[in-house]
Amino acid sequence: MNSGDGSMAKNLLTGAVGVILFLVLWQVIGAYRLAGMGWPTLTSVLDVLATPSRFGTFQRAVTATVRSVLLGYVAGFVMGFGFALLGHLWPRLKVGTDQTTAVIHAIPAIALAPLLIVFFGLAATPIAICALNVFFLVYNATSSGLLSVNNTHGDLFTAYGANRYDRFRWLELPAALPSIAAGLKLAVPAALIGTILGEWFGAPQGVGLLMVAAMQNFQIPMLWSAVLLSVAISLSMMALTSLIEHYVSHRFG
Amino acid sequence: MEPEQGVTAEPIDANPLRWLYSIFARFVARFWGVIIILGAWQAWVLISGYNAIVLPPPLSVLHQVATNLGLFAFAGLQTLAVAIIGTVIGMLLGSVAAILAWYSRLFSGLLTPLALIFTAVPAVALVPVIARLLGYDIRTVIAIVAVISFFPSFVFTGSGLRALPPGSADLFRVNGASTWMQLRYLALPAAVPHWMVALRLGAASAVLSAIIAEFAMGTSGLGSVFSEARDSFDMTRALGASLVATIISVIGFLLAISAERIVRDRWD
Repeated sequence: MNSGDGSMAKNLLTGAVGVILFLVLWQVIGAYRLAGMGWPTLTSVLDVLATPSRFGTFQRAVTATVRSVLLGYVAGFVMGFGFALLGHLWPRLKVGTDQTTAVIHAIPAIALAPLLIVFFGLAATPIAICALNVFFLVYNATSSGLLSVNNTHGDLFTAYGANRYDRFRWLELPAALPSIAAGLKLAVPAALIGTILGEWFGAPQGVGLLMVAAMQNFQIPMLWSAVLLSVAISLSMMALTSLIEHYVSHRFG
Repeated sequence: MEPEQGVTAEPIDANPLRWLYSIFARFVARFWGVIIILGAWQAWVLISGYNAIVLPPPLSVLHQVATNLGLFAFAGLQTLAVAIIGTVIGMLLGSVAAILAWYSRLFSGLLTPLALIFTAVPAVALVPVIARLLGYDIRTVIAIVAVISFFPSFVFTGSGLRALPPGSADLFRVNGASTWMQLRYLALPAAVPHWMVALRLGAASAVLSAIIAEFAMGTSGLGSVFSEARDSFDMTRALGASLVATIISVIGFLLAISAERIVRDRWD
């Protein structure tokens, strides 16, 4: 692709036009009921979001969800990173760690929810499902990143007689960082999916709870508002992790 | 009879006990994590004395599946079929959108930021929305799976169509190939390995997302077996449904991985 300033501005402009076209289409479909009663106009959704009497509700829900997402994200990162290290530093365990994460990931989250409720309680279940989703992505990103060492660099370390620790600290870990950062970005939507799903199972607060309540009471604009809130949380975390990924891939890539 | 030469004859002349042991060791090396989890689960049930409504032991879940094979097989096949149909629809739409974006710079400019935004949308949040639009039945389940496989397919097909061998595009242009011929003989073949990556990513989550949608709809498949069983406090049956779902999704994922490997070997 061309990389002049002019073409970049042009790309941004077409992109903005695309987003605006999408929003107009949303409004038109809603206004003329092209998709039935379940599709509200964009303006009616924004109206709900801008109603001052609802601010308290939205704020409590978003705070609860963001808190669960962050806690689950950190817990999932620590577990995924730690488990990947285990498999990397003791290669005999590697097949087993791969297999275990694959199986854990293949268990439907809705199946785990009742068990997690037994173990952690209703309020912590969103955190636990979020952590499990993040765990899988971080495990894969870390273990493939640790293997992505440049052969020449590896030979150099061997030739100078580096021990296992130095090799890990100065060669493998830095080489894995770009992959880990990419994994952390991918983990954002997965973290939100886990949290919202967990909230569906009866968490006391959160955006997911707002969705269920709106769906059961046929409050369509409210339902879409809750979805928009979850997208806003996800997009802002994506933006943050993209910045981190950009920095890491420049510094270590 | 003379023992045959070669690798196949080796296990026979070894001590059968040692042979069994090596199989056992390989099994443990592969599944130690799963064995620990199952063991901890069984032990937890024994120690805590929970009854089967709260937490049934793994053995009775296995027994449940074995004695109700018909029910689970039917629901499992239903879920599998919905997952496959949804994935096919989503991947077709994603590929068509990627080809349009390849063909027209304007279209690509319009679509790329939208696609970026949509990858950030938590897919389960769309379940209640789509259910309101399409109805509380199997169509919503198919639509959810299609939406989830659309984006990997769009992104990976798009990058594949542009991952051409160096100089090949110039060669086609110099020889006066039409856009159609460039697409048919150069860009599409180049996209196939990337397309398989999208298939692997889609296959991994298709069954799982189908189950989440079925659980919310409660009309078909393993998800509804699960939700009905849970509503009547039959946790053993609910976990049986999860077990079958896990097995199906692992098999689907493994099939997609080997399909990807076969295609990559053939293409390189």
